[in-house]
Amino acid sequence: MKVVQIKCPRCQQPINSKVKDLAFYCSHCRTMHVRDGGVNVIDFDIAEFNPGAQQDRVYMPFWRLFTNFNINQSKSAGGAIYKLGKFLGGGSNSGNVFIYIPAWETNVSEFKHWAIGLTEAQPMYSLRNDFNNIERTPTVVTREEATQMADFVIVTMEAEKPGTLQYLDYSLNVQDTRLVYMPYVRGQNGFAPGL
Amino acid sequence: MSLSVGLNCPACGGAIKVNEGEHVLNCQYCGSTLWAEGDAGVLTVAYKNMQDRDGVLRATEQWWRKGLKARDLRKKGRLLECYPIYLPFWSTVTRVAGWICGYEERTYQDRDGHSHTERIPKEEMVLNDYNYTNIACDPGDLGIKRLRNIGGEASFADFESIPTFESTTSKDDSVNGSKEKALQDARRDAGVPHVTFEKVTIIPKSISQIYYPVWVVRYSYGERMYMATVDGVTGNVLSGRAPGDPLYQSLAVTGGTSLGGLIAAAGLIVGAGSDDGTIMFGGVIVGLVILGVTYMFFRHGSEIIEGDFEDKKMKNPLKDIGIELGGLRI
Repeated sequence: MKVVQIKCPRCQQPINSKVKDLAFYCSHCRTMHVRDGGVNVIDFDIAEFNPGAQQDRVYMPFWRLFTNFNINQSKSAGGAIYKLGKFLGGGSNSGNVFIYIPAWETNVSEFKHWAIGLTEAQPMYSLRNDFNNIERTPTVVTREEATQMADFVIVTMEAEKPGTLQYLDYSLNVQDTRLVYMPYVRGQNGFAPGL
Repeated sequence: MSLSVGLNCPACGGAIKVNEGEHVLNCQYCGSTLWAEGDAGVLTVAYKNMQDRDGVLRATEQWWRKGLKARDLRKKGRLLECYPIYLPFWSTVTRVAGWICGYEERTYQDRDGHSHTERIPKEEMVLNDYNYTNIACDPGDLGIKRLRNIGGEASFADFESIPTFESTTSKDDSVNGSKEKALQDARRDAGVPHVTFEKVTIIPKSISQIYYPVWVVRYSYGERMYMATVDGVTGNVLSGRAPGDPLYQSLAVTGGTSLGGLIAAAGLIVGAGSDDGTIMFGGVIVGLVILGVTYMFFRHGSEIIEGDFEDKKMKNPLKDIGIELGGLRI
């Protein structure tokens, strides 16, 4: 086993962090990289906090997958393909969907809550250039794992609508992945959106 | 297991501790983020042995008194040896996420006696983290294949004094085995008899190796040798072999054959006077089942076996009877 110091692949500045985070952020040149089979610089967004959200602020990482979705055949008992049609629009059988996968450590119910919630209600946000010294929740889910979970999100959105899904033949191609840091505020009842 | 031998921070030279299975490290001296290249191994945990010899023997004697074991086992049982060992286990967490859709068929009869089959559509989400522990070596005659308890105080303090079995199965085999088992369990949990659509993603979340303390107790009864294993953390008996009691066998044979014969004969007599053949066949089948259970108890009751033994016959006697009765499914 060999241990190396993690440095930014762009500016070669050492990365310092107190937490174990699979996404390495260089505060010097604002580059983020991961080490999934090699040193790979990744695209990332930092969403701006709502000025009203002043209390215990935290950034939560999501893998945002830009996907191309195509329904070849579907069958539902007592219902109709509804949710995906909303995304695809105009009765089309193909289109693009942003899928959000929580990138921090979640249990199964939290995972479903966050993934379905953000994918169904696509967030609109302004971008900022840095984290402004606000705490970041560590990323533990790899890009590959997030891509594998995309199917679950897309089928869940369809299956949880009225009617009983019986068959769905579709193709889902991930065109682009990006780590998106969404602003949240810690409260007594968990996290509240900070957008 | 934390390793620190020969590993230093490349930035400041300070000694660093590497948790097996982790790639990202933080130097406690200079705060540098570090990356462990290559195979980082597997997180290894050893549980502290919480039992002593006297406690283990007490647990074994209590176990002797339970069930249909020989009544004079406490008097005639002679302790031969009692010692602790560490057994290695793979512990995996596998996340299964997906949907299994299909239908269930229910058949019912209307007032005219016509059969109707109703098809009930089903869509079931499977979203679960499945935890498995599997022994990572050949357990020999110990009858232990998985852990019942996964809690305890982590400590390698006893590693020097307690003999340790080394792992002989690979991490990859364990991960693949857990993935297959998780898929099977997810399908079982979904409970969709006729599947028309299935999309399931299986992601191994974690794997670790657990060294677990187990006490082995070997004893004799008459001319024969027996054994038991005791959990070194909880003090519960995990597995064992013990002599059965001839009196229980005799009573079972007498009672079982009598009861089975009576029920079968009653079924034939009552059924012969009735137009409905259900009573006759039902009585004969119930009688045969009782006879079969009696036979299995008589055949295997001379030794009581508890735990994950390959030759454990008393675990599911009905299944064995089905085989011995020519494949009859019960």
